[in-house]
Amino acid sequence: MIRTIVLSSLLLLLCSFVQSTWLGAVAVLGVVPDLGLLVLIWVSYKNGLVEGPVSGFVAGLAEDAVSAAPLGFNAFVKTLVAASAGLLHGTFYIDRIVLPFVLGAVGTLLKALAAALLALLFGSKVQAYDLLDRALWIEAAYNGLVAPFLFLLLSAFRRLLVTESKRE
Amino acid sequence: MRGSPKASSPERLRRAVPVVLLAASLVVLTVSTRSLAGLPERVGVTVFGFFQKGFSAVGDFVSDTIASIAELKRLRKDYDELTEKLEAYTNMERGNAELREENERLKAQLGFSERLSYERVPARIVAKDPENLYATIVIDKGVAEGVRKNMPVIAFQDGVEGLVGRVLEVGMGSSIVVPVYDSSSYVAARLAASRYEGLAKGQGSADSPLVMKYVKKRAKDEAQFGDLVVTTGYESIYPPDVTLGRVKKLRILDYQTSVEIEVEPALDFSRLEYVLVVRPSAPAPAADGEAPAPGGLPAQGAKP
Repeated sequence: MIRTIVLSSLLLLLCSFVQSTWLGAVAVLGVVPDLGLLVLIWVSYKNGLVEGPVSGFVAGLAEDAVSAAPLGFNAFVKTLVAASAGLLHGTFYIDRIVLPFVLGAVGTLLKALAAALLALLFGSKVQAYDLLDRALWIEAAYNGLVAPFLFLLLSAFRRLLVTESKRE
Repeated sequence: MRGSPKASSPERLRRAVPVVLLAASLVVLTVSTRSLAGLPERVGVTVFGFFQKGFSAVGDFVSDTIASIAELKRLRKDYDELTEKLEAYTNMERGNAELREENERLKAQLGFSERLSYERVPARIVAKDPENLYATIVIDKGVAEGVRKNMPVIAFQDGVEGLVGRVLEVGMGSSIVVPVYDSSSYVAARLAASRYEGLAKGQGSADSPLVMKYVKKRAKDEAQFGDLVVTTGYESIYPPDVTLGRVKKLRILDYQTSVEIEVEPALDFSRLEYVLVVRPSAPAPAADGEAPAPGGLPAQGAKP
C-alpha cells in the first residue's frame, strides 16, 4: 500500500511538471488536459479509499506550493475527487473508451464543484470555475478524450500503481 | 457499492482516511488564506522551480531543434524587413533627438525630475500554472537575482513595452508571476490621451480583454477605439506610463455614474517567452531631500 501511495504521488508530481511546461504546446484555447486528475481517478478507482486520496492530498499540497492557489486548495479538490472515484472501486468494469471518457469528464466537473464549494467557504481568496465560461467545458471534454489513452497506458503499470490485494 | 451497513474496524478506518484528509485540507486552507503559510510556498517555489526549469529546458531543446529549419527561413525574412525598418528608424532618430532635448528642457522648466530609476532583470518563462483555473506563470529568476515579491513585470513584444503583471511569490532561482489578465489582478490605469483614470481588472483568460472600471462618465465623449491605456503609477507596485493595452469597447450603463472600458492587452500572452522584472535601483537623492514616492512620481501634495 505504501509503495502504491509513494509511486502514485510521484507520478502525480510528474504530471504536474508536464502540465505546467510541455502541455502548453497542445493547449486548446489556452486549456491543457489535467493529466494528474486522470491519473488520480484511475489510481483511486483501482485502489479504493486510501491510496488515491492520500496520493491526491500529498500531490495537491505540492501543487499548491507552485500555484497561485492558496495552500490546501488542490489538496482538498484532489482528495475529494479521489475519494469519489475510490467509492466506485470495483463496482463496474472499465471498458476501453466509454467509461474512461465519462470518468475523465465527470471528474473534471467534480473538481469544478469542489472549487465552487471552497469559493463559497473562503470567498475571493479562492477562485472557482465559471459555469458559463468555455474553459471548464473544454477541459472536461479534453480530459474525457485523453482518459481512454491514459487509462490504457496506466494499465501497463498496474503492478506498480495498484496494491497487490486489489489487483483483479 | 461495496461494504455492509455494519463495517468492520479496518474498513471503518479506511473510510475515515478521506474524511481526515479533507478536514486537514480545510485546516491548511484556512491557515493559508490568512497568509500565515508563506514559508511552505516559498520552499515549494524553489524546489518545483528547479524541476520546472529542467523540464522546460528539455522541452525547449526538442522543440527548438525541430523548429530550427523553419526558424532560419523566418529569420532571413525578418532580417530583410528589419534592415528596411532600420533605415526608417535612423531617419526618425534624428528627429527624436531634437524632441528629447526639447522634452528635457520643458521638464526642467516644469520642475519635474526623475528621482527613481529602474533596473530590469531579464527572465525566461519556464512554466505556467499546472491548473487551468489559475493563470500564473513561472520565470527562471528569483531571490538570487534580486527579484522580490510584488515587483512589476513587463515585456517587449513587436516593439511595444507592455505590462505583464507582478511577482506573487519568489524562490531562490524562480518566481511566480500573476499576469494582469488574472481575475485577482487590479491595476490603476488611465487613458493616455484624455487622462481619465480607472481600475483595470483581469477576467481570468489571456484571450479576454481587461475591464477598466470606475472611469468617469464624461470620458465617453473623449475615449475612442484604439486609445492607449497606461498605468498611473499611483500604487506602490507598478511604475507609471507602462502600456496596458488599447481601448476596445465602451460599456455605458445609464444607471451607473461611471463607464466601463474593455481594454485589449498590448501583449499577446500566448506568444510571450521572455519578460523583464522591474527592480527599483538606488533612488537618486531628491533636491529637497524628500524620499521618492511609490511609482516614481512626486508625492501628492509635494511641491514640484
